[in-house]
Amino acid sequence: MNRHTHAVPLTAIAAALLAVFGPALAADAEEIARLTKPESTIEFGIGHADRDGRRFGQYSGLNEKGAYGLLSGTLIQRDDAGTWFILSGRNLGLESRELRLEHNRQGNWGYFIEYGEITRFDPYTINTGLTGIGTPIQTINGTGLRNVDLKVKREAVTLGASKYLPAGWDVQVRYKNEEKDGARLWGEGGAPTNFLTDPINQTTRQLEVILGYTGEKLQLSGGYYGAFFDNHNSFLTSNSTLFAGFPQRALPPGNQSHQLHLSGGYTFSPTTRGNFKVAYAKASQTDGFFITPTNNSRGDLGGRVDTTLVQMGIVARPLPKLSLTGNVRYEDKNDKTPLAFYTVVAGGSTLDGFNEPRSIRTLAGKLEASYALPMSFRLSGGIEYDQKKRNTFRVASVTQRQETEEISYSVGIRRSMSDSVTGGLSYIHSDRDGSPFLTTIVNSGATGSNLIAPIHLSDRKRDKVRLSVNWQATEQLSLQFRADESRDNYGQRDGSILGAQKGQASAYSVDAAYTFSDKWQGTAWISRDDTRFEQLTRTTPWQASLRNVGDSFGLGLRGKPYSWLEAGGDLSYSNITDENRQQALAGAATSVIPDFTTKLTKLNLFAKYAVEKNTSIRVNYVYDRFDTNDWTWTTWTYTDGTRVLQNPVQKVHFIGISVYHRWQ
Amino acid sequence: MKRGRTLPAAALQALALALGLAVIAPAAHAQEAKKPRPDMIMKGDAACTRCHDETEEYPVLGIAKTRHGVRADARTPTCVSCHGQSETHANKPPDAKERPKPDRIFKRATGSPAEAQNQACLTCHQGGKRIHWQSSMHASRDVTCASCHQVHLAHDRARDKFTQAETCLACHKELRAQINRPSRHPIREGKVTCADCHNPHGSAGPKNMVRDNVNDTCYACHMEKRGPFVRNHQPVQENCAICHNPHGTTAPNLLKQRPPFLCQSCHEPTGHRSSPGSFPGGPTSTSAANLVARGCVNCHTNIHGTNNPLDTPASGQRVFRR
Repeated sequence: MNRHTHAVPLTAIAAALLAVFGPALAADAEEIARLTKPESTIEFGIGHADRDGRRFGQYSGLNEKGAYGLLSGTLIQRDDAGTWFILSGRNLGLESRELRLEHNRQGNWGYFIEYGEITRFDPYTINTGLTGIGTPIQTINGTGLRNVDLKVKREAVTLGASKYLPAGWDVQVRYKNEEKDGARLWGEGGAPTNFLTDPINQTTRQLEVILGYTGEKLQLSGGYYGAFFDNHNSFLTSNSTLFAGFPQRALPPGNQSHQLHLSGGYTFSPTTRGNFKVAYAKASQTDGFFITPTNNSRGDLGGRVDTTLVQMGIVARPLPKLSLTGNVRYEDKNDKTPLAFYTVVAGGSTLDGFNEPRSIRTLAGKLEASYALPMSFRLSGGIEYDQKKRNTFRVASVTQRQETEEISYSVGIRRSMSDSVTGGLSYIHSDRDGSPFLTTIVNSGATGSNLIAPIHLSDRKRDKVRLSVNWQATEQLSLQFRADESRDNYGQRDGSILGAQKGQASAYSVDAAYTFSDKWQGTAWISRDDTRFEQLTRTTPWQASLRNVGDSFGLGLRGKPYSWLEAGGDLSYSNITDENRQQALAGAATSVIPDFTTKLTKLNLFAKYAVEKNTSIRVNYVYDRFDTNDWTWTTWTYTDGTRVLQNPVQKVHFIGISVYHRWQ
Repeated sequence: MKRGRTLPAAALQALALALGLAVIAPAAHAQEAKKPRPDMIMKGDAACTRCHDETEEYPVLGIAKTRHGVRADARTPTCVSCHGQSETHANKPPDAKERPKPDRIFKRATGSPAEAQNQACLTCHQGGKRIHWQSSMHASRDVTCASCHQVHLAHDRARDKFTQAETCLACHKELRAQINRPSRHPIREGKVTCADCHNPHGSAGPKNMVRDNVNDTCYACHMEKRGPFVRNHQPVQENCAICHNPHGTTAPNLLKQRPPFLCQSCHEPTGHRSSPGSFPGGPTSTSAANLVARGCVNCHTNIHGTNNPLDTPASGQRVFRR
């Protein structure tokens, strides 16, 4: 931004005048205080949404037509000893409110308490007869059909404290308790297919204690991280006839994890530094079964997962122009859950009746070198390795592979420092393969279906190109251009043509920023992202060609035409299309699936008018429009008669008027 | 009612010059010459603030409102601890046509070399969450601290939940459209930030994850998915990102593709699993309900895993239906 530079600095003028005139120019001392003392603010007002906005208000709390109280602010006090007292609140009149109190002596001690809400209003309206919504006992058609809105609310309280100790040590403690309550769209399927809600009444707690050391060469950070989950509803009961005699359906079990960790870094020399992390976590899931198992006498799963992490890295500059970076990371997630027999299965089953603990061991490494060239260019090249080893089972429903390996080679050139043009061009080629796919067998020992290599286990070749250019075209105009292009080719199982075939992802964008004057600046951007994926399935194959393409643009303007007026606005628009093309290559024909289109328009205008030195009136106007032809619900009625409704065109005008006041 | 509540700079300047020329200035200058100019914010800053203030191209006084401006904390910096002694900048050599720049300038493309910029910050901030900085992708791509942080401003947009995403999206353009997709995290509402999942200063996890892997990062908010369960779903245990794109999607629940296509990218084409997508008006059969409503999860409701120990008929828990 181009700013006016005064021939004589303002502070010098103010200081000089203050020295000469003393109290007569106390106003100037105030001006310096205004520039250097922390500022408190409060903003209060009222807003109005002209209609319900299920999408607009999904997380903002402005989901319904009507008036809303607007209240935000920050109270900051700081004394000469460096003691801060900060009380801040945001969106206090909405169901997205947050409040935080912080008190600390900088460089010595501190504590805070924080309260925050995240409410997710479901974007659909449910027309249903279900009763007991949000509770663990629900009755299908317990009443006549009526409209119901669902929401899930998270309320979190976080407490934290810190203390700096002598000789570079410090300790930090953080505890967060989150209550999550509400109802989420759920259901049960088969014959019949009924609407149900996921009754959410859960508590998540996290405790973190960190002891840190910061020295000139050595830094350490180690401690404990505990994460605890309690579900106050362990199962849902309904009058469903889907599984006669078995009215319960399981809800997520409580679980916990305890981790000890230590990270560190050491600066061997001004050009060489190493870092590491080691961690060991013990997770368990021993929530009592809500009902006695049919085929064993266990009271709980006895779930236990131990995870070990070892990571090391080194960065060095052996020559003034040559930089090297190396990293290696080993993670062993060992699921030690005891095996037990839970399900009687037939010989043709793809399960043997036991639970399946899932372990995975990852070894990843990276080596990268970069060399400085003339004109601030830097050439880089690297190699990256990622190996995953998984445990497998005698019987499976999906193809298993014990080991996958992916090696990536990259080369790039970039220019980071320049008055005019910076940017980079890079190319990465990745090749993933692994151990032979295991022949899938069913419970009887007979060979099962062996036609599809799961997408995350299959062989894959990936080529990726990225181009970025930042151009300071003129003093007023800067431009950014980004292009990402990625192509995937998947391998299939021997003797099969089915499974993932190829993928493609493109993202292009151009951004411009223009300074019209000292008082007005504008931005504009346009982008296109395009993701494609093709796969084959069925023994008489049909092909799915899937595509998600989004065209977006945005405009922004910010200005301060007068010392008493700030104004601006942002407009953005996206047009997103999901294509799901199906084509039978043999056998029965496939349906033609209509595209899904979504259009998002957002306009945000604001003006801030200073009525006094420290007081302003702020006016906000928001126009939000959501258009969709999503037919996945419109063509659907549950067996119980429930329908899920969404207004295909949602337009909301929101206007807010608030008073903004600041003081010191 | 007064107007022009910001700096009455022009008025002050004119006033000072006028008065100085007329009567006051000579006396004031003489008086000032006798005693050294006091520091305004930081120790030794008088050498800098005699020229640099809020009217400069790079306003500097705002740092007084930040934690860097607390002199009571002995750890806080001075101007020279970040910008260097900058002797020739402070005292322009007589033969220099233009005033030489400070020893260290904090600007992304036109400042000092990235490593030199960052080292100034790391001198104090190398510990804690920045231990892994040098090994991070950001460091290796010459991202500077000042690329994201506004050290001289009371309000650093990178550390504000409501504006942080703008900072990240300035470079990560491919995510700008994604975070506004219909299925998304509440990033634009400031309820979830990039830094909730990623540590931009580097970490021991992949993709700068704040925890040691993708799943542990997701569990911080979605702990009900952790299990383990009586029936585990393999990709769920391996990596949430096999099925979900956390930055935003058009398909519901952040799914990369809609069912049944997503499910068919792993599952064998036996029975109803290979059925093409179809959209009937109601629940006619299993395969005919695979693209409408919730798709495959119309029936397989406990898709992340179930802890149901019952051996129910019709494969209830075995295929995540109960």
